[in-house]
This record gives sequence, C-alpha cells and structure tokens, in this order.
Amino acid sequence: MSDVDASGSGQQNLLGAALKSPSFMIGLVLTLIFTAGALLSFIWTPFEVDGVDIPNRLKCPPVQEWIWGLNFPGWGTNWFASWRCASAPQYLLGTDHFGRDVLSMVMVGARTSIAVAVVAVGIGIVLGVPLGLAAAARRGSLLDEIIMRTNDLVFAFPALLIAILITAVFGPSAVNAIIAIGIFNIPVFARLTRGAALSLWTREFVLAARVAGKGPVLISFEHILPNILNLLIVQGTIQFSLGILAEAALSYVGLGAQPPIPSWGRMLAEAQTMIAIAPHLALFPGFAIVLTVLGLNLMGDGLRDILDPKLRREKR
Amino acid sequence: MSLLKVKDLSLKIGDSKILSDIDLEVDKGEILGVIGESGSGKSMTALSIMQLLPEGARTAGSVQLDGAELLEKSEADMCALRGNDMGMIFQEPMSALNPVKTIGEQVAETALVHGGVSRAEAGEIARQTLDRVELPASQFPLTRYPHELSGGQRQRVVIAMAIALRPRLLIADEPTTALDVTTQAQILTLLRRLVEEDGMGLMLITHDLAVVADMADHIAIMQKGVVVEAGETLSVFRHMRHPYSKALFEASSHQPKRAPGREVKKDNVLKVSGVVRDYPGQRISLFKKPKPFRAVDGVSFAISKRENVGLVGESGCGKSTLTRAILGLEAVQGGKIELFDRPVMPGMASALRAGVQVVFQDPYGSFNPRWKVERLVAEPFHLLATPPADRRARVAEALKDVGMEPADMDKYIHEFSGGQRQRIAIARALVLRPDLIVLDEAVSALDVSIRAQILDLLAELSDRLGLSYLFISHDLSVVRAITDRVLVMKQGKIVEEGKSEEVFNNPQHPYTKELIGATPIIETALRMREERQIT
Amino acid sequence: MAIFIGKRLISLVLSLIAASLVVFFVIEVIPGDPASFMLGLNASPETVEALRQQMGLNLPLWERYFNWAGGLLRWEFGTSYTYKVPVSDLVSDRIWISLPLALYALALSTLIAFPVGILAASKRNSPADVGIMGATQLGIAVPNFWFAMLLVLAFAISLRWFSAGGFPGWEEGFFAGMKALTLPAIALALPQASILARVMRSSLLDTLSEDYIRTARAKGLSRKQTLWRHALRNALIPVLTIIGLQFSFLLAGAIIIENVFFLPGLGRLVFQGITQRDLIVVKSVVMLLVFAVIVVTFVVDIAYGIADPRLRGQRR
Repeated sequence: MSDVDASGSGQQNLLGAALKSPSFMIGLVLTLIFTAGALLSFIWTPFEVDGVDIPNRLKCPPVQEWIWGLNFPGWGTNWFASWRCASAPQYLLGTDHFGRDVLSMVMVGARTSIAVAVVAVGIGIVLGVPLGLAAAARRGSLLDEIIMRTNDLVFAFPALLIAILITAVFGPSAVNAIIAIGIFNIPVFARLTRGAALSLWTREFVLAARVAGKGPVLISFEHILPNILNLLIVQGTIQFSLGILAEAALSYVGLGAQPPIPSWGRMLAEAQTMIAIAPHLALFPGFAIVLTVLGLNLMGDGLRDILDPKLRREKR
Repeated sequence: MSLLKVKDLSLKIGDSKILSDIDLEVDKGEILGVIGESGSGKSMTALSIMQLLPEGARTAGSVQLDGAELLEKSEADMCALRGNDMGMIFQEPMSALNPVKTIGEQVAETALVHGGVSRAEAGEIARQTLDRVELPASQFPLTRYPHELSGGQRQRVVIAMAIALRPRLLIADEPTTALDVTTQAQILTLLRRLVEEDGMGLMLITHDLAVVADMADHIAIMQKGVVVEAGETLSVFRHMRHPYSKALFEASSHQPKRAPGREVKKDNVLKVSGVVRDYPGQRISLFKKPKPFRAVDGVSFAISKRENVGLVGESGCGKSTLTRAILGLEAVQGGKIELFDRPVMPGMASALRAGVQVVFQDPYGSFNPRWKVERLVAEPFHLLATPPADRRARVAEALKDVGMEPADMDKYIHEFSGGQRQRIAIARALVLRPDLIVLDEAVSALDVSIRAQILDLLAELSDRLGLSYLFISHDLSVVRAITDRVLVMKQGKIVEEGKSEEVFNNPQHPYTKELIGATPIIETALRMREERQIT
Repeated sequence: MAIFIGKRLISLVLSLIAASLVVFFVIEVIPGDPASFMLGLNASPETVEALRQQMGLNLPLWERYFNWAGGLLRWEFGTSYTYKVPVSDLVSDRIWISLPLALYALALSTLIAFPVGILAASKRNSPADVGIMGATQLGIAVPNFWFAMLLVLAFAISLRWFSAGGFPGWEEGFFAGMKALTLPAIALALPQASILARVMRSSLLDTLSEDYIRTARAKGLSRKQTLWRHALRNALIPVLTIIGLQFSFLLAGAIIIENVFFLPGLGRLVFQGITQRDLIVVKSVVMLLVFAVIVVTFVVDIAYGIADPRLRGQRR
C-alpha cells in the first residue's frame, strides 16, 4: 500500500519505464516516421505530387518485380500472376495511372490524415473535457442530465452519419470531415472525463479542498484535471488513431478531402478500379494507414502501462 | 494429534521473504486467534494453508491437516479439500459474493463441486446451511441476490458457503473488520456456535486484541512474518514476554494523557439546533414521486471551547451527512448550524469557514498525489483574503506541531507512511489555527500502535492550542479514550448524550447499551475467562 | 424488471424524437431553402416553387416536422427527387442488404472474439496470449474497406472462390445471398473482433481478480471452474456495452464496404443522394440508420438488465 501512486515521483522514473516498454518504443518510432514523412513533404518529396509521367505510368515498385522474379518452385504460376509487372528504379513505390509517384503521394497524404485526426481530437478534448468536468462537478443536476443526454444522442450518430449529414448540406471537404470526426469525439471525451472525475469527486482530497473554500471550477482545474491527465493522454492517442481510420473511410467514399489534396483514403478509392492490374496502388496507402494506426495504438498502450503504475505492477 | 499443524512454514514471493518459520497448531473444536498489524503476514499464513497464494509464491516447511501434508498435494487434490475439509471466509463481505448469482446457487455450489449430490440435494443443503447461519427461508429464500442483503447478512452467506459441507477446519480472515460493532458481535457468536456444534477448528485472524481475548482458546501474535509470541490465551495476555506483544497490548487500551486541570469553557464554538437533512429517495414507481430519505432528523448539540465531543454511531446512522453539513458543504432542510453564532451554510464567508477544519479517515485518499506537502498543507490559505507572505514558515510550524520535519514539505505524499500522512492531514487542518477540528474516523484506518500515537498527538494539540474536536467514530473504545462528552446517533437521531465516562459506565438508552455490550473489551474478556477457569 | 424495461422504453422513444429533430434541423433548416439547394443555382423559379409545393416547404416549420415524423411512423418518407419514386420503395429493397450485412458481421465478430478473448485471458502471458494480443493489435489498425480490397484481391481475383462483388438478390436463395455477403462480413468483422477480443480478455482478467473469485476458489473450485462459472458472466457486462457500440460502427462500416463489393445497399443510395443533392433520400436513410442504432442500444440495455440483477430494481 505504501507505493500507492508513484505518478508524482520525478520524471526519471517515467523515462526509464518508457525506454523499457517495447510497445511504447515501437509505437513511438512508427509515429515519428510518419510524422517526419508528413513534415518532410512540406519541403521535399521525391517527385512532384502532381507530376505526370505518362511513359512511366502504372510502374510497380522494384521490390515487387524482384519478388515476382524469385520464382520459387512449387509456388505455381497463378498466385502471383497479377503481380507480374515492370518497375522503374527511380519510383520506389511505383506509379499510378498518370505516372505519379506513389511514395510522394503517400507522404503528402500523411499530412491530410494527421492534420484531420489531430484537429478532430483537439475538438473532442477542448469541448468534451470541460463538459465532462462540468457534468461531474454538478453531478445529478439538470446540467449533468442535459450534457449526458446530449452525449447519448450524439453517440447514436456514428461519425459517418454525421459526415453524411454535414456533406449533404455543405458539400464534401476535409474541413467537414474534421468537424464530423470532431463532433463524434466530443461525447467520447466528455464521458471519459465525467466518469473519472466522478470517482475523484468522492475522494477525500477533494472534500478537503471544498473545506478550504474552493469552488467547483478551481477544484476541477487544480485537483481533477491533473489526476485524469494520464487517462486523457491515453484516450487522445486512441482517438487519434481512430480519427485516421475515420478520415480514410470518409475520403474513400468521397466525403473527405477533395482533389487535388492527396489523401490515403482517396488513393485507395482510385486504386480499387485497378486492383487487378496494379495491386501496389492499393497496398501502399493501406500499409501507411495500418502502420500509423498501429504505431499510435502501441504508443497508447505503452503510455497506459507507463503512466498507470497500478496496471504496470499488475502486469507482472 | 492436532487438526492443523503448521511447522517451519516460510513463504517467499519473488525475492521478498514474507513469512519465516511459522509454527501454529489448531485442535478440533478449538479457536486459534492470530493477531497482527497490517504487513504482519497473518493473511498470507492463511492463504498458504489454503494454497491460494498469488502466482510466484513459494512455500517451504510443513502444513498438515489431520496428518496429511498439504504443501505436497497437487492442485486437484487441494480443490477436493477446499470447501470440503477446510473452508475460508474473508474480510470484505460486500465483494466476496458473485453479484450475478443468487445466494442459493452460491451456497449449493460448494456441495455441487465436491460431487455426489444432485442439484436438488445441493439446494437442500444450501437451505439447511442458510438456516444454520440464521438466514431463515421466510426472509431469505435461495433466490435472493447478494445486492439485496446487508453486509452482515452477506457475511453469513459467505460463512454458509464455507461450512456447507461441515469442514474440519475453518479459517476466518478478519471476518468482522468491515462490519459494525453490533453485527460483529452477532457474527462472532455465530462462529462460536458453529465451532461448538461441528467440533471444527477455527483459525481466527484479526488485528483486534479484544476480539481474540474474547473468542480464542490459544493465540499467536505475528509481526513482520514471524510469530513472536504464542500460547494459551490467558497466560499470553497475563504474562507477555515479547516487547512487541507488550507494545501492542499497551496500544490497544491506550488512554492519552490529558493536561491536568484542563477546563472546558462554557462559550459555544459550534451550535447545532434541530438540524434536518433529507436526500431525494429512490424512485420506486414511474408515476409516484419518490419519498425523500431523512438522513439527519432533528439533531441538536453544542461544542464549547477546548471541548472534545465524540459522535458515535454505526454505518448509515447519518453521521457522515451531519459532518458534511457542519463543514458547510451541504445545505440543511431544517434547523440551523452556527459557528460562533454565525450561520454555517454552503455559501458562507471564507473567514467563518476558516474556523472549522477537518481530518478524514483514509490517509491515502486525503491528498492530491501530484502536489508536494507544502502545497497540500497550505491549501486552506485559500480561505484568507490575501495569501500569507510567510507561507512556508507557517507550513513548517504546522508540520512541527504534528511532529514532522519542516524539510518534509518539499516531498511528495507517496513518500510517507499511513501514520505520517495522517499527521500531515492534521497539519493541514491546523495551519489556519481553527477553533474546531472535525475528526471524521480520523484514526479508524490506522494500526493500533500508530493509532495510539495519533491519539496522543490529538490530545496534546487540543490541550496546548485550546482546540475543540468533534470526534466522529464507530469505535467506542477510541471515543472513550479521547472525548469529554459523547453523542450516540442512530437512524439520524441523537439517542443519548452525556459525559463520556458516565455514558460508557452507565448507558441509559437501549441502543447505547447494545453498542457497549457488543464492543469487546480485553480486560472484561480476560476476567470472564479467569472466572470460568476457577469454576 | 418491468420498471427497468419501462424506463428504457421511455428513453428509447425520447432518443428517437431527439434524433429525428437533429436530422430534421440539419437537413431542412440549415440549408435555408432546401428546394433551391437541391435544384442548384440554375433552376428556374417555377421549378423551385413546384418542388417547394411537393416538399411542403410553405408550411410552418413545426408542421413540416410533424408531417415528416408522422410519415416515418407509417413508413412513408416522401418521393425521391432524382429517382421520382417513393423513398420507401428505394429503401425497402436496400435495407435488406445493409442490415443483414451488419448483423452477419456482428455475429461473426462475436463468434470469433469470445473464444479468442477467453483463451487469451485463461492462458495469460502464455505464447498464445502474446500471439493473440499481437494479432488483435494489428487487426484494430486495419481499415475494414482496405481489408475488403485485400480479400477481393486474394479470394475473388486470385483464388476465384467468391465473386468480386454484386448481389444476386435474396430471391436466389438464402445461401446465395449469404455467400455474396460473406467476404464483406469478414472484412467488417475481423477488425471489430480484434477490439472485442481485447475487451473480453481485459474484462475477464479484471473479473478474475475480484474477491468473489477468491471466495469461489476457497469453496474448492478449480481455476477453470471459476472462470466458466463465475468470471464469464460478470465479464460479459462491459463486453455487452462494446457489442452495442460496435453495431453502430458495423452499420456505418457496412454502407462503406458496399462500395468495395458493389452491393446495392443503403450506402450506395445515400452516397448517390449526396452527390445528387437529394436531401429527401439522405434524411430518410440517415434516420433509418439512426433508428437501427438506437433500437440496438435499447436491446443491449435490456440484455444488461438480464445479465446484471443489480440493475433490475427490486429495491428494498
């Protein structure tokens, strides 16, 4: 019992725990790679994103040609028949039907995905957390009831339905995708905050603060918020990864980023019609999504273990 | 040959040694009391006997039940023994039962898993066993769910599960610690009756010396994984040898020294008159308005300067609600609370609020884990119009008052033990030099030896600084030790009030009599034991 | 139990009213004049006026809402502007693709997740557990529509076990219909099954550390018996919540994945409705989907009450 909460104990401990958590480190590296790729694309991409190169259209990546060339005995012929292709060495991930460089498009697409997800998480936190804090501070009041009922209502609309409603009226755009995912995030954070805050409000240190004459606003910011920060960070990374998935889905069905803004979802939509002849067009944006989301989830899991010493102990 | 014979038992979890060379014996029809404070290893001893230890635990030595070595048995053999030949009950009745199964199913399961009976027969056994633990069929059909029962009733169900197959050995790990004193007395009586009826051996683990003095035939006192003293109850109590046993015994009946010639002034610090506090009730029907629940019902009393007043009552009697009203955290629906003749209410002036501070029960939950001690202790300065310039000096002084070092203020709270934390909580309550401190079960979560120290500290502070206390507790012996006057509360009402000595020696109200009768007292228990021996 | 169901029924009706108000507000109020919005800038005033008449836009707002809501109750949604047929006809065919797809996926996801989650929890920290946790981590990161494309690539294009898309219609027989829905359902179910298996595992592990499990062990139950007899039912309670939430994701996922497999479901209808600015189709389909989500939430709430006797009332 004596080591109830080590969370206040120095940063060194946390750093050490972070370095020892493989899932956190793998997640961090993956996230950094994609963030770096996105940032790099502002100043440099291997080729112009909209640089058309008709002679080199539908080139597959050199790796793919090499795998096909391996020709293991017993592999048969039909398994990789659709992988037969010609590559151009300068295009590492191949080109699309206009001869545009897939790697450059994936890099720029990361920008869209990350920007949409970050802003959508921001909307969820900025609006959801105060609502949750307010609901918890006034537990059982009309305000609490209204906030929670509204939350329930928003929960009945998956992000896609919100996006459908918004785009039906305002037309499709990346901004509308952000708003749709952001609205969906609000009740997620509001509920999480309220639940965690409610249990903190019954703790004796909050009672002590009330005896010291502190009001609900001050208590929420001094006592409640710092103690749920870990939880919010972990949920933030999870919503970030969900945001990337949602953005990809919305762009895929045409409700997200519009041309000429490159996005992973739309690249997949375009690749779909050519999947039989150029599967690499569908593979790489998909890999990008999977690895980014995986990275964020691993980081979130790692963070949970690192920030919550109780769970860490139990895991052994 | 004894029923249970533990010899040289030692236990390691990972690299840390939890138990070393434990020797214990329990005979048929005999009660062995195992006493120890938290961390003494008493629960781990029990779990070692049951072989229900956490993963990574390694035992050595010997545990024999009727001559059969338990430590060498396979898990399957142990499963066959548990519930059949040996049963165990635990501390927390509220969480010890599966919430989604009926009590009938859960008691019958003991019979079912050990085979040889049909479902109907198991149900029959469950019914008989529940009758034996005094949960009659009329009120407690097998189809009841745990959430429909009180804590004491749930503990009876847990006991029923353990004794359904009439095991030879029953291990009870703090079976009454979570219960009210009157319920504790009933459960202890039940356990004693079952031991007599079935002739089983009972190993009763507790931190409460008074309970074992009353119940046990033999006792063993544990400290830090070692049995420091063991033997026949009366001789151990009368001739304590080990310094730890002596300290424990002294702490259990500790009476803090009060300043000589201490007098209580007649001016009222706090005046509570006719206070009523209602809560909205549970909605029973969709169409009827819920009936409010009256938690505090016309309570009146006053506290004078320097006076230490006790408020005693069992859980649910309304004492916590009353506390929150006195602290000005919740509005009352009737009557009034006055501090220095000015009304106490949620929106009251900061200066008035500074006159009453509080110390809570849980030394672990009382502090924001992210703050340093200085900021924690200084929190009540928020009540001052301007923050004091000598903040650190005043925090240092408060820390010195409670026997801590001023240097402690730059540490985080997790660096302190439970007793130290409670001192820091007192420092926080002291820092504004209030006139009244409400002590809400302030020593209930502490081990007896720490409790004695904190009681000394509280007595000294009251005498030196002229503090008034409202000392709220379920524990009569603690209240008796520190208070001048006592109030007894039941179902929202004060049923008896008077000078502490008078109320304890000569209670008037039947409820007070019941409370006092139910509270085990070491000396009384020992004397009765001696009388029995003589006759 | 009656009070419990009664309360849930009331909240079901209130949610439906609130949701319909939201949909109505977004589609009919935000655009200002839905008729001119649908017809675009080049429409003549006469056509706009004709559409206004047809849609009843000259009536007061509240009357329009009640007409629409009343129509919903009678399965009358108005006439599609682009298809010139009653929306109820359009919807009636397509809902029998989207809804079965979502339910099929829900069933698959549950059937996969339960045994996997239970296995992982019962063999905690074993290689099986570690493998399952790794696989589910990956499963969560995969966008379902991309996974669908991979399935098409592998099972339709390369192996030719399934057709790449389209729907034969239920009149071709139950199995033909189910076969056409199998790849889409798998694509939808696997990512959700990953989430569910993780929830199942952690919920079971939480439950296994409860006091009453220790009590059961003291009665002589083996570890296995405590898992099946005591832990499982308690662990199901949080899992139920997730299943309820998943249905809304699966429904949204279903209408997205219809695009990959060219299934003529609600998804295709609503996305065409958006591009053609057919607000009547959009609001009807969105309302139907929200209705499905709210009803499933209601069913889950009732299941909750069955699983947990504490919720059923019977207060003393």
